[in-house]
Amino acid sequence: MSRKKAPKGKSCSASPSTTKDNNRSGKSGLVSAVQANGVVHPSRASISSSEFYDVAFKVMLVGDSGVGKTCLLVRFKDGAFLAGSFISTVGIDFRNKVLDIDGVKVKLQIWDTAGQERFRSITHAYYRDAHALLLLYDVTNKASFDNIRAWLTEIYEYAQQDVVLMVLGNKADASHDRTVRREEGERLAKEFGVPFMETSARSGFNVDLAFTAIAKELKHRSMKGLDEPKFKLHEYVNKEMKTTGCCRT
Amino acid sequence: MEKANGTRAPQQPQFRINVPSTARERVTSVDPYGFERSNDFDYESYEELMSEYLAVLTKRSIKWSKLLQGKSRIEKTLKLKRYVRKGIPNEYRALIWMAASGSQEQMEKNPGYYHSLLHAQHDPTLVETIRTDLHRTFPDNVQFRKTAEPCLQKPLYNVLLAYGHHNQAVGYCQGMNFIAGYLLLITKDEEKSFWLMEALLGRILPDYYTPAMLGLKTDQEVLGELVKVKVPAVWQAMVEHNVMWTLVVSRWFICLFIDVLPVETVLRIWDCLFYEGSKILFRVALTLIRHNQALISQARNLPDICDRFKQTTRGAFVEDCHPFMQNIFKEPGSLSMATITKLRAACRARITAE
Repeated sequence: MSRKKAPKGKSCSASPSTTKDNNRSGKSGLVSAVQANGVVHPSRASISSSEFYDVAFKVMLVGDSGVGKTCLLVRFKDGAFLAGSFISTVGIDFRNKVLDIDGVKVKLQIWDTAGQERFRSITHAYYRDAHALLLLYDVTNKASFDNIRAWLTEIYEYAQQDVVLMVLGNKADASHDRTVRREEGERLAKEFGVPFMETSARSGFNVDLAFTAIAKELKHRSMKGLDEPKFKLHEYVNKEMKTTGCCRT
Repeated sequence: MEKANGTRAPQQPQFRINVPSTARERVTSVDPYGFERSNDFDYESYEELMSEYLAVLTKRSIKWSKLLQGKSRIEKTLKLKRYVRKGIPNEYRALIWMAASGSQEQMEKNPGYYHSLLHAQHDPTLVETIRTDLHRTFPDNVQFRKTAEPCLQKPLYNVLLAYGHHNQAVGYCQGMNFIAGYLLLITKDEEKSFWLMEALLGRILPDYYTPAMLGLKTDQEVLGELVKVKVPAVWQAMVEHNVMWTLVVSRWFICLFIDVLPVETVLRIWDCLFYEGSKILFRVALTLIRHNQALISQARNLPDICDRFKQTTRGAFVEDCHPFMQNIFKEPGSLSMATITKLRAACRARITAE
């Protein structure tokens, strides 16, 4: 009759998301100087939704319908890709993941959005609060690439001026069906001065890198007060992409 | 049974080898509609629940067959409405949905119309948009698998394509794939699914699916207004944490609770939706919110509110669909269509002005 387990009796004892991050000892001091750029909690590691973290940021996934936003998020969050197990996203939803960036627990609150154009009037409202936007297209779908310009226009209109932005060409594993060459993506991203990489939610290629790069950039921005060398997102992405190799699966 | 053979108990195990001994073994891993039960499906509480619900279903089935016996036409009467609220047996669902929503009449008035839509020239953009969602509609249902025989992806494509051409102002909107999918699972008939779709989108629901989604935005605000009066603690929490209603309830309205609530509960809601109209959606939403008001109003921040809203759609309260359906007519208190019409007009004007 039902598809979900009733959270009653013995079944409610453990939810994996709450136990995972509890092992962490409350690291303190380090981030006390953090100034607000993001949702920064200035004193100790914060407890929210039973997860420990030092700083938190909102990241939004945007791009045409079917480019793989949900798959990318699930691959990053759970390290899984189950072909043909995803349903089209209706409306807007989010998942959290805490990353360790140079000893700082950075929580990314990642918002997944419906790609269809008519849902944008609903999702627009969330652009303004986003600290970072990952804009996806599908390398096997030329139209989704052609729409990147329109997406960027919309992002510049609704998002914060200093929003961290990255363009991702997803489904890079599908070499047979590819209709957008990597150079085309690189050229477009360069034109707009936006970091770019190709990803594959299926193989996991560059997925962690994309989110880690975003987290690093946001963390460094929020800790400007400390004597740290400036973090350069572009350079980091280009360097790391090379070391990752182009066809790792 | 075991006790009866008390004296021979020690020998019993060898005779019971093939008798399922746990709920996990007794209950099929695919539900009656073809949905695979999730890994964390609670077989024991399901079995417990079904043992009661099966008795209800049997009783209703007998009553319905008496009611419909010898009837060639189905008239909307108070008795039928009462029956619908108590649940339409699955074997009569298509029949009653078609009759109550006026779909049967439309289908009879327009013979061949559905097929003419399918044979007409197709808008390539519409085709492409629909195709993107075909394999993303109920991958967890065995009837929608590419390998299924027959596979419901093709009928799904046909119904959506026909509807998109029939109502060009709407075309295709994500969420419609799930609705058409449910209609196909119940009616097992493309043309009937098309006409039920036409009743839902054309008459029963406001303009949820048009590009501006004005009806959806309106109804989300209408729900907010109703919550403000009927469940002020939750309204307060929403204001305090600056949560827009769309964030927590857009799927409730667009998907008509598909993939939000358990399948059987959704079907019971749809029974009333086809008979009584869109007011039912507010009754369900208000019941979920009011029943969980303590849970929601204790939320500490926006993500926490979202989590708690998700929690309201899980658990025994929503799975036990029979008492749940009785609840939706009690828990929210009185809710007249006149109130909703008035609120809709006010909210729509406010949104349009913004």
